[in-house]
Amino acid sequence: MTLALKAIPLPLLLYVLGTVASSTPETFHEELTLRPLRDGKVISRFSFSTLLGGAIPRNPDVLDAGNTPQHYSLFPLGLGQVLREYAATELHLSLNSGKWEYDRWGYPDEQEVGTGAQLWAWIGDGGQATVDERWKGLRNALAGLFCASIGSLDDQRTTSPTLAFAPEGDLPAWPLPHHLRHATLPSENVCTENLTPFLKLLPCKGLSGLASLLNPHRLFDADWHGMSVHVSWRARRGVEVRLAFQAVFDPVRMSTDRKRDWSLQSIFDRTIPKACPIAESSRIAVELPKNEAYAVDPRPTSVQDGVAVYDTSQVNDLDVSLRWPLESVFSYPLDHPAEPLSQVSVQRTLKGTSQSRGQLSVSIANSLPSEIQAIYLETMPWHVQFYLHTLKIVVDGQARDDLLSDIAYTPPEPHGRPALLESVLTLPPNSTTHLDMEVMKSFLRYTEHPPDAQRGWDLPPAVLVNFTPGGRRQRLYTRTLLVDLATPDFSMPYNVIIMSCTLIALTFGMVFNLMTRKFVVVRLKKGEKASKEKAD
Amino acid sequence: MDKSHCGSRNPLELSFESPFLRRCILAAYWLLILLAVPAWWRTTSIERLSLPTSQVLKQAKREIEFPLEIHLSSSVNGVDTGALARELERTLEHRLSRRLSVIPHGPEDIFVSSETGSYWVKLTQDVRQSTIENEILLHPWDIHDPIASSALTNSLAALLSPYTEQAHAEEREHVVSKYAPRFRIAFTLLNEDAASGRSALSWDIREALKYNILPVLKRLETLHNFTVESQVQYHAPLAFTPTTVSVDGTDVYGLTPEDLTVFVNSAEWTLSSGVTNDPVLHFLMFIPSASRRPLHILNDAGMPTGSHSFILPQWGGVVIHNPPFETEDNFYLSASQLDHVSSIFRLQLLSLLGVPRLPSGVKSTSSLSRWQIDALLRRRAQENVREAQQTLESIVKLVEQIENMPVGQDVKQDVEDALAALDQAFEAAALSPKLAFDHSARALTLASRAFFNPGMLALLYFPPEHRVAVYTPLFASATVPLVVAVVREVVAWRKQRKAAALNN
Repeated sequence: MTLALKAIPLPLLLYVLGTVASSTPETFHEELTLRPLRDGKVISRFSFSTLLGGAIPRNPDVLDAGNTPQHYSLFPLGLGQVLREYAATELHLSLNSGKWEYDRWGYPDEQEVGTGAQLWAWIGDGGQATVDERWKGLRNALAGLFCASIGSLDDQRTTSPTLAFAPEGDLPAWPLPHHLRHATLPSENVCTENLTPFLKLLPCKGLSGLASLLNPHRLFDADWHGMSVHVSWRARRGVEVRLAFQAVFDPVRMSTDRKRDWSLQSIFDRTIPKACPIAESSRIAVELPKNEAYAVDPRPTSVQDGVAVYDTSQVNDLDVSLRWPLESVFSYPLDHPAEPLSQVSVQRTLKGTSQSRGQLSVSIANSLPSEIQAIYLETMPWHVQFYLHTLKIVVDGQARDDLLSDIAYTPPEPHGRPALLESVLTLPPNSTTHLDMEVMKSFLRYTEHPPDAQRGWDLPPAVLVNFTPGGRRQRLYTRTLLVDLATPDFSMPYNVIIMSCTLIALTFGMVFNLMTRKFVVVRLKKGEKASKEKAD
Repeated sequence: MDKSHCGSRNPLELSFESPFLRRCILAAYWLLILLAVPAWWRTTSIERLSLPTSQVLKQAKREIEFPLEIHLSSSVNGVDTGALARELERTLEHRLSRRLSVIPHGPEDIFVSSETGSYWVKLTQDVRQSTIENEILLHPWDIHDPIASSALTNSLAALLSPYTEQAHAEEREHVVSKYAPRFRIAFTLLNEDAASGRSALSWDIREALKYNILPVLKRLETLHNFTVESQVQYHAPLAFTPTTVSVDGTDVYGLTPEDLTVFVNSAEWTLSSGVTNDPVLHFLMFIPSASRRPLHILNDAGMPTGSHSFILPQWGGVVIHNPPFETEDNFYLSASQLDHVSSIFRLQLLSLLGVPRLPSGVKSTSSLSRWQIDALLRRRAQENVREAQQTLESIVKLVEQIENMPVGQDVKQDVEDALAALDQAFEAAALSPKLAFDHSARALTLASRAFFNPGMLALLYFPPEHRVAVYTPLFASATVPLVVAVVREVVAWRKQRKAAALNN
């Protein structure tokens, strides 16, 4: 039975990732969304997606058949090689810097906004190499591809929270299951050296089309910036690679006359010189302000639901600008928006001054008039250990332990594995839920401290997954925390060696002297004795 | 000392205060230290297993030789194959300076075996030109031609040992890639600037490879494994500006011979692969930007040459494609349009892999004859054997020179296995070049694995002096009383002896 099953898809599976029939070509779409915010900032989000039509993720069972040719025209070969080598079905990598203000900016278009690096992948089991071996290879290959230190996302950072990170595409129905691997590195900094390889994966690089706006000098000056790579498989369409860049700019800070007017030139210091010739679709969507006088220039191709759309597939030196002509100086709005930008807001802090104990407290505010079910995920490196029995949930001064259900907890393993706490949380309407838990801070080995040990350790963000009214999963990332662990005096080992050597030498010398010393009676003559006594 | 018995007891009379006991205690300390030294030595020393040095050095002097056997038959009347065979054997041995045998046969008993190392030559009047058909060299024979046998000798010499020729020898040295068990063959369509229009947006490389490249790769599977990949790039700027030359009143763009050396712009063109360490052979089809057409390769005098392709030694090949002048729009390159380019890629691939060309005046009905493949196999086997021998020799020398270098069991095993594989290669040389080549490739892999074994670097930069330095506070302060006690006892003992001698 299994033999027959295997025999049929094998010729098909050999055409893995890249051997596409000519009827299902590769297509490339690019889009830039610009969204002005109440506080004068502008969210820009680039999305470049390449679809490899008809391709199937590689089955790890045929991983050893190394001679499969790979032919791509738009799909990035560098990424294709990585996916093929390690047979990853779905992959999400994000590199972000700064903290996303859900309360002021709303939900982001790219929901992976956790500070630092985050990588998660769904990998099919089977073949000679285990999932963990391929996960390690994948990490290192991506680290090399994006010049980021994600290679250090080792076993001490890897967890498998399947509830919160469900696959976004489809998983092929292979006889063997798929496994999730997820890891975060909150201390990773994002910079130009990550953007350069990112641009090289785009078919038009940074030289034509929307990608020519990606100017590192401006992007890395933005209040928040992050890039992400998403690979997923859609059963009916094929393998899709989506590269995204999201940044929050502050035109008020960049302008000389304190206005919030912006244009592509003022934000990116560039315009679009030429269209990317192979883009199937290319467009800029500008969200227009509501209940305000504004001027948008040039004339958009179409306006729908308050969004001005520019078709940029045939364009020559395009600069889009949005101005508020009646406003002489931008004044920061001090009142709260009529409708909150995000229905759920999360605050997480680590309290306590001692170097051995602390208290983790999370407060989650639900501003909707209805109850919300959410998945709460906390992953911690083993340096911080939860006292799960101290977990308390308080709503409006009342203990409500019934709100927490389906708790899955993987205890940490010192020097080995991180802790994972995943559970379903019910948030009552119009209320704030407080979660408190005591934590223990571990004592690290001398060699386990990072080079700047006094700074402390970055702890990964907690994730709250709630379901929006539309039924879409919305992931919220809390801010990262910094934990102060007991740090030794790093000259200590040498002091210890010298100290113990001295002690041993002293004891040894005393014992040795006692055993080998010759005791003699020295008799003094009377006169000598007398004179000696006198001298004393 | 006088013995007086008044008041306190003399400590010298206590049982434990005898000089003998004291010396015993002292000796016990020193004995302990001496006994501990081997243990200390063992626990702190580096594992250095002895390598089979003499075998390696003996092996390094050996040279691999392939005995060749040529079977001669003739369908031409009046040819004395026996005499011709003797003559051929003598002249070929002289020409190639190696042992070979030419065996005469009757006209009908041709039997080509798949066993390599033996080749068939048939003299005939049916062909006008030397032809390799079904791996048999059919040679036209005219009995009245006095120099007929020298023509045959030339052809055979060039077929059996193509690399001894001067032109070939130089090409081998510079162009041919080093042996690797697996090669990546990467085809890249590079548009200098696709955004400026009139560029190739896609190509049917898969179809084009089917006719020209894949059969060759299939034929060479005995030597290497291949992974084929291709990509298209839409922005591949050059790192320099091509020079402008005027030909027949029109301006064309040209690449000078110096430009060709810096043609590949590795910073901007995404060609490298991050997944494996296999060597890559790149084949680039470059389409200049619409504003810089046509682009030609210039000769030393600065005039355009007819050629539009060149080889970058050990790296790959480049073909410059100037689309027809009347092209208005972006276009697609079909397999038939790529036929010319892929046949150039094929020639470049053969040169880069070191496949010998057929000598002039000899043609073949198949794309690559066994004569060529075998010549390459013999050559690669010879190179691998030499390389493996050199690697083994350098391991032995290195281990001898650097005393802190650890030699673990795996290194020793690899060296021994490599030696065994070399022996097998030498034995197999008499049977078949393919077998000898396989063993030589294995020997090379094992030898380089032993050479690059990470364990050999482990303690290279952490010599035992460091450890001694850390523990000096202990060693020094503990040893000083021990040494002083010994000196004191020796002095006391000599004094005693002197006193005893005086008393006597």
